[in-house]
Amino acid sequence: MMVLLKVCWILVVINSLTIGGGFVMLPMLQKEFVEKNHWLTNQEFLDAIAIGQLTPGPLTVMNAVIGYKISGVIGGVLAMVSSYLPCFIIVTIVAKYYYNYKESIIVQSSFKGIKPAVIGLLAAVGISLGNTAVVDPLTFGIAVISFGVIAFTKTDPSFVIIGAGIIGATLL
Amino acid sequence: MDDRITVRDIFWKFLKIGSLSFGGVYSMLAFFERELVEKQKWLTHEEFVESVAIGQMTPGPPIVNTGICIGYKLKRLRGSLATTVGQSFTGSLLAILLAIFYVKSKGNVLLTSVMKGVGAAVVGLLFSIIFKMAKTSIRDYKAALFAVTAFFALALLKMNPIGLILASGILGCIIYGRRP
Repeated sequence: MMVLLKVCWILVVINSLTIGGGFVMLPMLQKEFVEKNHWLTNQEFLDAIAIGQLTPGPLTVMNAVIGYKISGVIGGVLAMVSSYLPCFIIVTIVAKYYYNYKESIIVQSSFKGIKPAVIGLLAAVGISLGNTAVVDPLTFGIAVISFGVIAFTKTDPSFVIIGAGIIGATLL
Repeated sequence: MDDRITVRDIFWKFLKIGSLSFGGVYSMLAFFERELVEKQKWLTHEEFVESVAIGQMTPGPPIVNTGICIGYKLKRLRGSLATTVGQSFTGSLLAILLAIFYVKSKGNVLLTSVMKGVGAAVVGLLFSIIFKMAKTSIRDYKAALFAVTAFFALALLKMNPIGLILASGILGCIIYGRRP
């Protein structure tokens, strides 16, 4: 019970700070769930990202996987509620006071600092996850091809993930 | 506020949007616009553009936030609740079902090798996201400095990313906050 409350609280905090898309939450999620509380391994964290990417809707859906892994179905449902609650509250307030908010120099200038910082954080997480997932020439090849295809073509990442799963099943 | 539209209509429309939104955010936005602005005429083009802007400058997934904002415009709090639940229902349900399957078949040799391939692809995906974000957000040396500092603070000093994001927001206020 205490664990579940803690999971919900962490997700509320993280989702209140996730500015600029679902991937921004990854460094915070990894720190809290993998490194600090050891609720998941790096491999399980990677698998949760993959499931979040395969299901419809934003990557945030991966929080349901994390919640389920820690506390079963109730954990999964509460994880989603905690993830969307901050969005719901903040967006409705901003929708009401949009013009004040848009012109706010505090909002604009803090975003200018957060956006590039997030890129640095993501790179650090990418390396940490890479150490877990990229272990031999074949996994290295899969990672490089996945990078190239998603960065330079308009292919849906879901296809890349499914393709990599098939390659994994046949070769690994 | 529009009396022709009921909260139930909004819920079903967003359940449909949320269930079909495989694929990228941009194809989703086109879908939103076609369904809500052109076909249903629930919103004007300007209201839609404003909702997208709000979705991008608030915490959380931009596409869900755009939906919350549209719901609020249509039916205030009940509308935004309908769009949030409608949009997230199918994805969350599928994710929990997949998680059940994943946890139950843990240790299965085939699943382990599938996930080895998938894990490597996720790492590639992550770096392609970083690449795309860097191309749009890192435009001067100050931004690059924010990115590099944050990288080392997390990778080497193992600092807490929640604290780092708060700190970079405060630093952003100090550095960029003065009006020119």
